[in-house]
Amino acid sequence: MTDIIVLEKMNKFYGTYHALKDVDLTIAKGEKVVVCGPSGSGKSTMIRCINRLEEHNSGRILVGGEELTDDEKKIDLVRREVGMVFQSFNLFPHMTVLENLTLAPRLVRRMPTPEAEAIAMKYLNRVRIPDQAHKYPSQLSGGQQQRVAIARALCMNPEVMLFDEPTSALDPEMISEVLDVMTDLAREGMTMVCVTHEMGFARSVADRIVFMDRGEIVEVSTPAEFFAAPKSERARTFLGQILAH
Amino acid sequence: MSLLDGWWDDFFFGLLTVLQVFCIALVIAVVCGLLGASAKLSNSRLLRGIAQAYTIVFRGAPELLVLLLFYFGMAITLTWFVQVFDPSVKFIDLPPFWAGSIAIGLIVGAYMTETFRGAFLGVDRGQVEAARALSLKRHQIFRYVRFPQMWRLALPNFGNHMLSIMKDTALVSIIGLEEILFVAKMANSIIHRPFLLYMTVALIYLAVTTVITSVVAWLELRANRHLRGAR
Amino acid sequence: MNFDVSLIATSLPKILHGLGLTLNLLVVSTLIGLVLAVGILLMRLSKRAWLVWPAKAYIYFFRGTPLLVQLFVIYHGLPQFGFIRHSILWPILREPYWCSVIALSLNTAAYVSEILRGGVLGVDKGFVEAGKALGLSKFQRASRITAPLAVRLALPAYGNEIVSMLKSTALASTVTLMEMTGVARTIVADTFAPYEIFIAATIIYLVLVWIIQTGFSMIETYANRHARRT
Repeated sequence: MTDIIVLEKMNKFYGTYHALKDVDLTIAKGEKVVVCGPSGSGKSTMIRCINRLEEHNSGRILVGGEELTDDEKKIDLVRREVGMVFQSFNLFPHMTVLENLTLAPRLVRRMPTPEAEAIAMKYLNRVRIPDQAHKYPSQLSGGQQQRVAIARALCMNPEVMLFDEPTSALDPEMISEVLDVMTDLAREGMTMVCVTHEMGFARSVADRIVFMDRGEIVEVSTPAEFFAAPKSERARTFLGQILAH
Repeated sequence: MSLLDGWWDDFFFGLLTVLQVFCIALVIAVVCGLLGASAKLSNSRLLRGIAQAYTIVFRGAPELLVLLLFYFGMAITLTWFVQVFDPSVKFIDLPPFWAGSIAIGLIVGAYMTETFRGAFLGVDRGQVEAARALSLKRHQIFRYVRFPQMWRLALPNFGNHMLSIMKDTALVSIIGLEEILFVAKMANSIIHRPFLLYMTVALIYLAVTTVITSVVAWLELRANRHLRGAR
Repeated sequence: MNFDVSLIATSLPKILHGLGLTLNLLVVSTLIGLVLAVGILLMRLSKRAWLVWPAKAYIYFFRGTPLLVQLFVIYHGLPQFGFIRHSILWPILREPYWCSVIALSLNTAAYVSEILRGGVLGVDKGFVEAGKALGLSKFQRASRITAPLAVRLALPAYGNEIVSMLKSTALASTVTLMEMTGVARTIVADTFAPYEIFIAATIIYLVLVWIIQTGFSMIETYANRHARRT
């Protein structure tokens, strides 16, 4: 299997604060990886480095074989192949759903509008809200907005999808509609890296679970191993807290 | 710059005059602002109406126009009034210093009305409710909960209003107040260096506005000191 | 003292003779000022210190000094220099009209650039990040995401600035221009009726302010049609 994302001895500092310490991780094509851990552990920072929303200070990051550096062109190429879904959706408020979806294909892949719209409708159907195409984001519920955000990322036909706590800002009753879409995506073979607290999703979808704490990767296991018998003390504490309720 | 020797005294006194106008106008503006804000927030439709008319007129009319209206208008009114008692008086006017200070105070007071009103309304309702739940009286709520927070909210705009007052003082030279712009005009008729003179006036104003801005920035830091850093 | 209400009515049309010049000054200065403001904004937001510094200095000077003084520096002050009097710009720079336009434009540009900057800073970072994640270039993010949202945020403050500009046109009367305030002052000098005449002028200005504010209200409603009021 080809390794689509490689993180090699990656370090990141915010001033003197060591946010990511010697992170080593490889993700193969088609793999679903769930990253979890207490807040402040660096999970979001790590995945935001993958599409250069944050800059790593040392070590290497390779996406699809291309190394991520300051080279603007390389960064743009990487971003086309890596889709991202944000905790706060970040749908463009001044554009309709359809316009949100077709913007990048038209501007970045230079697709003609009719073609872009056809693709947009295809993905809107996939996330089960084709009828909302001409609404503005503010008119949709949180769950709907996040599904639009997923569709928007998919319209660029990425190789990898990054999810940064996609359900953390949603009301409880809307979480499952988004997780369902993500599960479908996983079943269709998309390579996914998800930062999430949704352990049920992790258990059923993930190929591997990466547990992070205080900037380091502490443990990498299969879901079965991780939930039944975590190898590290810190993972045990974390699971104790998160599964207590 | 040695050309300006002999004029520095006049500029200095002109600056003092400007600062005096500033202080008086500021006091008037704050008073009008507080009165206006409470009128706008009151239950009386009449008071709200009067306050609304006040803010509309004094924020909508050009400052120069208000100043001229006030100065010449007051002259006419005062002359008429005094002539009732002493018909031999030909003409009396309100000194430009007072006409200017009051006019500017009234104008900026209209802006302050809106600022104070906004600040009052901007205080978190939840805090007021908590205070009421603790059975604090209305005036106590105002003093310990509302006012400290209003101050913080009003401060940036209040700083801008102070800058407005400062810059409006230049207009009072038009009605003859001997402040720095007026001094520059007079000096020009003698040394004929208008650019030098008027730039000097500009730089003096710039110095004063810089001081005001710095003071306001410091006050803002102090007012916000307990808001920083809650993680 | 006799307060002649009818004088208010009869002076209105006379003062309106100045309306054309008032609006002329307003529109021309607003347009020139807007173009300048965008330029200054770009300089101010740039990463290159040699662009940021002059922009900051410009804004500092024009917001920290009275407009009247700026006007006097340009109208009375520039003729001090021989090289200006003999330059090809002299026919423009000696005219009170152009000096007023220049002063008003330079002044408003400083304020508008800060208003626009406030709009730009107010755009939620998340939207820009989404643009980055989708692979949009810097220019595409600036023009399709930041600019449209920044303008919407800046509209209320910009509306206030236009009202402010309208009031500033009155200062042109100090350099002999016969816009509305200038006309009013002339009439007052003849009739010795400051209350009636200046009140008439005030009424006209208030109507204009109302028109501008209503217009902006409509523009703001239209521009924000994408945002549902919850």
